[in-house]
Amino acid sequence: MNMLEKIQDALPLRDRLIESEKMMKETGCYDGVTELTLRKQDPLKFETLHTKLRASCVSAREMARRISASPGVREVGEMVVAIYTPEGDAIALSNGIMVHVHTMSRFIKWMIKEGYEANPGIRDGDIFANNDAFIGTVQVPDVMDVIPIFHGDELVGWAGAVCHELESGGITPGGDVCLAQERFTEGLFVCAEKIGENDEIRRDYVIRCERNLRMPIYWVLDEKAKVASCIDMRESVRAIINEIGIEYWRRVMKEFIEEGRRGQLLRTQQLTVPGIYRGHTFYGHVTEGKPGFQPLGPSNWLYNIPIEMGISTGGKITLDFEGTQPWGYHSMNCTPAGMDGGMFVTLTQHMNYEGLVNDGAWMATELKLPHGTWTNPDNEMVATATSWALLLPAYGVFQRLLSRGFLARGFVEEVFVGQVNSPMIEMGGTSQYGTPFGMAHFECAAAGSGALAIKDGLDTAYVGWNPESDMGNIEIWEQNMPMLYLGRSILPNSGGAGKFRGGCSFISTWLINKTNHLRLVTSEHSSRVFDNAGMCGGYPAPTCQMHRSVRKTNIKELIKKQKPLPHGIGIDPNHSDLEKLVTGVHETSEGPYITAPHKSGDIFTHAYNGGGGFGDVLERDPIKTASDVENGFLTAQAAVQVFGIVLMEDTHGTLQADLAATAKLRKTMRARRLKKSVPVSQWMKAERTRVNAAGFVIEVTRMYASAMKLSKRFTKDFNSFWGLKSNFMYKVED
Amino acid sequence: MTNPIVIGIDAGGTMTDTILVDEHGRFKIGKAATTPKNEAEGFLASAEDAADAWGLSLDELFSGVNVVLYSGTGMLNTLLSRTGKKLGLITTKGLEDMILMGRGLQTWADYSYADRLHAITHHHPDPLVPRKRTHGVTERVDQFGDVIIPLYEKDVVKAVKALIKDKVDSICIMTIFSHVNPVHEKRIAEIARTEIKKAGAAITVYTSHEVRPVIREQSRLNSVLIEAYATSRGRQQLKGIEDISKKYGFKYGVQTLLSFGGLTSINHPRLHETMISGPIGGILGAVYVGKLIGNDSLVCSDMGGTSFDMGVISHGQTRIENEPIMDRFKLNVPTLHLDTIGAGAGMIIKVDPLTKKVSLGPESAGSDPGPICFNRGGMEPTIADCDAILGRLNPNYFLGGKVKLDVEKAARIFKEKCADVLGVEITEAAEGMIDMLEQDANAALRRVISGQGIHPSQYTLLSYGGSGPLHLAGCSRGTGFKDIITFQFAAAFSAFGCTTADYMRRHSVSTQIDIPSSADEKALAGYGKKISAIWHDLERAAVDEMLADGHAREKVKVEAFLMMRYTGQLEDVEVKAPLRVLSSADDMRRTIAQFEEVYAKINHRVSRYGAVGFSVTELGLTATADKVKPTLEKRPLGKSDPASAHKGTREAYIGGRWHKANLYEMDDLQPGHEVKGPAIIEHPATTLVVHPNDTVFVDEWTLLHYRHA
Repeated sequence: MNMLEKIQDALPLRDRLIESEKMMKETGCYDGVTELTLRKQDPLKFETLHTKLRASCVSAREMARRISASPGVREVGEMVVAIYTPEGDAIALSNGIMVHVHTMSRFIKWMIKEGYEANPGIRDGDIFANNDAFIGTVQVPDVMDVIPIFHGDELVGWAGAVCHELESGGITPGGDVCLAQERFTEGLFVCAEKIGENDEIRRDYVIRCERNLRMPIYWVLDEKAKVASCIDMRESVRAIINEIGIEYWRRVMKEFIEEGRRGQLLRTQQLTVPGIYRGHTFYGHVTEGKPGFQPLGPSNWLYNIPIEMGISTGGKITLDFEGTQPWGYHSMNCTPAGMDGGMFVTLTQHMNYEGLVNDGAWMATELKLPHGTWTNPDNEMVATATSWALLLPAYGVFQRLLSRGFLARGFVEEVFVGQVNSPMIEMGGTSQYGTPFGMAHFECAAAGSGALAIKDGLDTAYVGWNPESDMGNIEIWEQNMPMLYLGRSILPNSGGAGKFRGGCSFISTWLINKTNHLRLVTSEHSSRVFDNAGMCGGYPAPTCQMHRSVRKTNIKELIKKQKPLPHGIGIDPNHSDLEKLVTGVHETSEGPYITAPHKSGDIFTHAYNGGGGFGDVLERDPIKTASDVENGFLTAQAAVQVFGIVLMEDTHGTLQADLAATAKLRKTMRARRLKKSVPVSQWMKAERTRVNAAGFVIEVTRMYASAMKLSKRFTKDFNSFWGLKSNFMYKVED
Repeated sequence: MTNPIVIGIDAGGTMTDTILVDEHGRFKIGKAATTPKNEAEGFLASAEDAADAWGLSLDELFSGVNVVLYSGTGMLNTLLSRTGKKLGLITTKGLEDMILMGRGLQTWADYSYADRLHAITHHHPDPLVPRKRTHGVTERVDQFGDVIIPLYEKDVVKAVKALIKDKVDSICIMTIFSHVNPVHEKRIAEIARTEIKKAGAAITVYTSHEVRPVIREQSRLNSVLIEAYATSRGRQQLKGIEDISKKYGFKYGVQTLLSFGGLTSINHPRLHETMISGPIGGILGAVYVGKLIGNDSLVCSDMGGTSFDMGVISHGQTRIENEPIMDRFKLNVPTLHLDTIGAGAGMIIKVDPLTKKVSLGPESAGSDPGPICFNRGGMEPTIADCDAILGRLNPNYFLGGKVKLDVEKAARIFKEKCADVLGVEITEAAEGMIDMLEQDANAALRRVISGQGIHPSQYTLLSYGGSGPLHLAGCSRGTGFKDIITFQFAAAFSAFGCTTADYMRRHSVSTQIDIPSSADEKALAGYGKKISAIWHDLERAAVDEMLADGHAREKVKVEAFLMMRYTGQLEDVEVKAPLRVLSSADDMRRTIAQFEEVYAKINHRVSRYGAVGFSVTELGLTATADKVKPTLEKRPLGKSDPASAHKGTREAYIGGRWHKANLYEMDDLQPGHEVKGPAIIEHPATTLVVHPNDTVFVDEWTLLHYRHA
């Protein structure tokens, strides 16, 4: 019995949803809207109305940002709002964390399908909240609120808002809880609950939040901000209906979505070449030897994310994740809602950014998420607290696949190597005010982007989940944590090398201040394998940086004697500035940072990721490179060793490219490449022997074995590629 | 004999508008092209154009006026064209890359919705100071103002010497939390001045705590850099205006306009505060007109070629925006709050041949090449072309006939690029485009209404700007305003507004006063006392400055305000102090209640959270002194028949069909006249379209009231 059959009551909204889905199946058009009648009648009225709806979303979001206490929302914009049809499809949306437009859609549909009309009832003034990823969100901190919009007695739509909360009350502070191995340690769950009536949030709900979170003010004020913005949108929609009439509204919202769907198909046809595109990436998660992780599975995880993208002649995009690994007892699993969200936010950045931006675009695509994999777990108890760890690399692959389509069609300027992971740092303990606290530090929302085919990637200003990326002001973050910045600086060589390099990221160096108990935790690190490739010969983005910390430092003494202090890690790859300048207990640790609390006087560094490169390094512009070295995006060492660019100082001490010496050096490097190269067939032969004998570290063998166990197609493709026996399988003990 | 007493000049990107005001409040408008290289030329040409109208020579004009007010774009252009001073920067060590990293949001913040999403279009603005002239010095002050790492003075000496060697014009200093405790910035400046003196160099030193002592280091940095980078040439331009005014006999100092309203001498120490002043004049003018007509709650709307700016005045009060964006840099300059959307008569219309989507702007045809109908090489259809095609603009009377409009050409290209692609008739398409623009503006007005929690039935809408009256009907339809007013001098309303400003100082100080929800009588009274003491000190400082400027004490008026929030929030609400002295717990409660009322109006009552307590983050006050202002002339209402202003008829397409519209000369309309639509009221600098059955009534102040049918 499926959930639709459980409810016996008369449920007109649920019937309507089922009918709508049926009509989409039958006609191929949203809700059976085969003709855009209203658009045809008066195209300008149609367009204007959508602009109006979108504008009301944008201003509602701005209002919410004024209310929030969270630097995540106020300072770096971790929020989005949208207006939905009664069936839960997005008609218009604000800017912001676009990923959640479609996850909210799932939440609304889930309530309808679960019979909420009958119990707990859906009435004017009701407020519903959710942060359960299996109902519709990405991770626990992504808390969404929706309210129904009534016109008289008729439910005519929904208004929804999401904020990423900086503290969710999990086993570690923050919300990207890498220590979560099942959902029960992720934090406070709100599972599609009615949390308010008559436009007021229930007091008992607020009390629950206040008593279960380390820093309730973030969550509670964000909740109020979201509800205020939903009410604002609801009133805008009501005013619009009063103006255009209910009949027009009923039809136009459907046409908006169908128009969005058709627009997406047209864009795909215009920008890409139909066919099958394949790409993949890896992600490594190291927990070996770290405190707190239960021995529920392997301690180190390696994920392969192969993606096959199909583009039909009609412009439909299909993404197939067949061949990826099963879910695991770690925090990186993702639900279909999260996968949808990733698809949606990526589309809005490449194709669905103008015209009627809404759920229509998503309907012009299809995701194939094999059951049992991390993309679609067959167990709803799994943790999804750091879904982004796998989501971002996966949709980085999607961006590169799309970019190949753009390149093939001649839209060179649209080519984008794409998004990367941006490791998150979270913290809790005793604040500088002497009070308990907890916070996710969201400066990670400004990593480096992948390169473009016509220029370098964006430095310190891009993340995949929110194109409106930002790191926020130091003075605001410091008001919220007991740490002082000793440095926030560009991390040289952090962009993947190439004719156009990936955008660089930055590193923060902090001095712990005015606390004796500061817990620092980090997540989303792929420290041993590249999780973001380059394109057309460009290098992948580097793997993430190690964390460096110094406890029991002599910093007071250094300050007293006015000795140099560390402000970053420096450019010596063998010895960091911390080691050179400070004495104390030095630690260098990989991957998620989980250790004993820090105290005043300790020093800690945390870095974000850069993007992948585009094109051959030996084609990079030497003059641009001289400027890059001068500005700290590249080191002089990398310029010569990686790019073959020789630099010299002019009489003013400014770096200049020595073009003649560069040409000479590059000639030598090309010759060296040729000398080193072997025919592909020869290389394949040698590798085949290794593949056949499983000559890998255990993580690699386990990765392939688990994929083969789940997917016959993957096994077949793998074996045929390497020329192995058709029944070849890797086997490892579970 | 006409005796102008005030000259107000608004030098926009394209045109320099002048308004002359005589002692009876009569106006004359002048226009000339802006001359960015030497603004004094455009200033003089525009003043001459206006003086001509009264038959005055420049000598007669300048020797007779009491006040010359100039608001220009020179400093903004210096910034936009990156032609400012050579700067060096000294900042907290470890944060030198801030110059390159910026705020991530500066890579997209002023983009359209579509480009904000389309990530590959994002890019950083070019920094105003290169990384190699940015030096870090070891120091750290924390949020409480405690010195955690004392300043390494040797780092400072080294940095200053390097910058002297680099031959910089100015050294800027910005350290973290200097607005809380400026001890390090002060010391750095002191060392810098000593070293500069030793080297015999001519280098100016700017510190962020002096230029903009407010939280958010990136904005504070941008403020100090822009002040150092762009204002010195601006100062020269302003000096040039003053010199030429004096050459023709002007006896006083030229005044300019602050972005938060108020006039200041061109010797103002923080001139970057005058850089976003263009549309501010309009708001000030609106405040003034509001007082005159007895309605101090207004929404003003200014439509020019490119943008539609809206401002709200509630009970005579305007809202201050603390973090505006200037040329992609986030700033901390308090600016009268404006909502702006891209909507103006110069906006380029595009119809995507693939999806048939219509888009307006954001590009504008500007004045060069301008709309197609200007016949100066423009080939992209604009809204102004649609206005011409539909007979709403007079082809022979644009700028008083100085520009002849080529309607046939506009129609031909518009048909090909827009109407045919959409598959509709040219008139229908042209009116559709205008509707779209007006609907955008209409929706924006409604957003302002809902966003600021105002009730339109208590507010009057003022419409001005060159294109304001042309699109007034559609922009305002159905908005429910109490009254809708436009002006004979709509095209120069911003310049008019400048002339209505008072002398002003705004002083404020960051505070950290946290009032728990559980605060008892004694505690509440204590907070009140503390707040009153700060206001007292601020008042003394502000009044002293005004006295130093030559204002009499009894003429200086002081109003206090608080910036308040629920404890833990990140944004304040500006609350006008209900009392000047808080002498009891009840007074403090009344102030908190005032905050909650203002807050709920802006942010909806569901978002109140008094349980967490209240914080006062800034206390401030404004000190103002009156100056001579124009007075609008009040005349008795005459007969309603506007025949004396009638000048013929023209075919105009409005509401889906052609009408024989009556034409009137705007300047000839007299109090009492009532014009019934369809009609077109023309002025050399603007056109008011009266839709069928709508009326325009001329009141005793000669203001034009637009009444929808």
